[in-house]
Amino acid sequence: MLEVQELAAGYQGNDVIHDISFRVDEGEAVMIIGSNGAGKTTLFRAMCGLSRPSAGTVAFEGDDVTGLPAQRIVRKGLGFVPAERHLFPRMTVHDNLSLGAYPKRPDPETMSVVFDLFPRLAERRRQHAGTLSGGEQQMLAVGRALMSQPSLLVLDEPTTGLAPKLAHEAYEALAVLRGQGLTLLVAEQQVPLAMAFSDRGYVLENGVISLEGTSEELAADPRVRSAYLGVT
Amino acid sequence: MTAIILDGIVLGLQFGLLAAGLTLVYGLGGVLNLAYGQIAVLSAMAVLLTMDAGVPVFAAVGIGLVTGGLIGLIFDQTILRPIYRRQGEARVLLSLLLTLGVAFVVDGFLTWRYPFAGLSLQIGGGPIDLLGVPMRRGSIVGSVVILVVFGLLFAFFRGTTLGRAVRSVIEDEEGARLVGIDPSLMLRIILVFSGVLAAVVALTQSMIRPVTVTAGFSITVLALIVTVVGGLGSVSGAFLAGLILGVINTLATSYIGTFLSLIILLVAAAVTILIRPSGLLGVKE
Repeated sequence: MLEVQELAAGYQGNDVIHDISFRVDEGEAVMIIGSNGAGKTTLFRAMCGLSRPSAGTVAFEGDDVTGLPAQRIVRKGLGFVPAERHLFPRMTVHDNLSLGAYPKRPDPETMSVVFDLFPRLAERRRQHAGTLSGGEQQMLAVGRALMSQPSLLVLDEPTTGLAPKLAHEAYEALAVLRGQGLTLLVAEQQVPLAMAFSDRGYVLENGVISLEGTSEELAADPRVRSAYLGVT
Repeated sequence: MTAIILDGIVLGLQFGLLAAGLTLVYGLGGVLNLAYGQIAVLSAMAVLLTMDAGVPVFAAVGIGLVTGGLIGLIFDQTILRPIYRRQGEARVLLSLLLTLGVAFVVDGFLTWRYPFAGLSLQIGGGPIDLLGVPMRRGSIVGSVVILVVFGLLFAFFRGTTLGRAVRSVIEDEEGARLVGIDPSLMLRIILVFSGVLAAVVALTQSMIRPVTVTAGFSITVLALIVTVVGGLGSVSGAFLAGLILGVINTLATSYIGTFLSLIILLVAAAVTILIRPSGLLGVKE
């Protein structure tokens, strides 16, 4: 479904990530784990068209989408939820969700799926997005991405700024989406949560992928255990 | 007193409309269009020339509106191209310089070619009584037109998907791209809007006093002041600030003197920036 090959990207000519290759197959949940500054956000931004990769290719559902602007990639069915969320703060929850379906009219069925998943959003649908709590904003960001009925949902650190209980709830919601057949790619620092949720994973260290494997393999790897799971 | 307030509201509606076209382009694209007043004047000249050629007024007014929209589109496709490629401060500065250049060229051309031209649309009939004050028919018609235009703008931004898409770019450009909205397309639409608004400004002003070939810069300066007070990117802010400044201006003119009116407006703008740097209803920080 998604195939990234030898991707390099960075800011103002200085590459932050180098030679990144990975794939996500239909129906999978894949994680990219790495500490702060490892290059997860740079990778996702270049992959989703928010910045230009300096080398490599990104193929989505067989099409080469390398260097296409984000608005075109999104319309092909790749939904992206950035860590900073980028909601429309002075619009209501309802309007934020409606715009998620742009340029189509919002599909009432999809909207009710989102409200079933996040009942809090239904309660606050007339409220401005800027007045929501951090957890609710994260729900709205995911909900807005779902409104375009993506075939792949990419999330950059969905637990940023969330209390442990809310972080758990976020992953419960993602597990529900997975159960509904959505393919997911998640970048995460909170490795135990992501690991319990995903099938496979890649470890991103200093801008390169240093390790890959199934979640069980990674959980058993001594380097991963000491660096990300706090086990010695 | 009622008469002064009513005059202030008439003027304030004009101010608000002036600012609306400027504030949208700035809020959306970070482009400060200093040739905005010249677009108004060029539209007025288009109306004047077609009327002189014997075209009926209503058709000429239509041509004026189309001219404004077309100039907006041409701006988007030509001088704004290099501006869009810059980010942040560089974009604002380059937009100031390039649009100022265009403004000078347009002003120079018009004063050379049509030195004494001026558009005034005569609205026939005597004064209309409003709250016991006889108001000029031109003022009433102009104000009604402006209110209708603001009504259409609000309906567009609140009630249509396209309008909400435009607002989303003002609120968070990256967020807009992530839902599949193309910011440059929205900007093109808004530049056409802005040009049409400039034409409406010229038309409604010409119902009260002639719009001359040299009116461009004073239109731009007034629009800038109102935009700053209202908040960049906010149409409702422009409307509100226009009304407040219009009333302040008329009060100052009648109790102190005309010579002070522009200074009073600048002071009001400065005070607003000191108290609320983002303006009355500003979106950006």
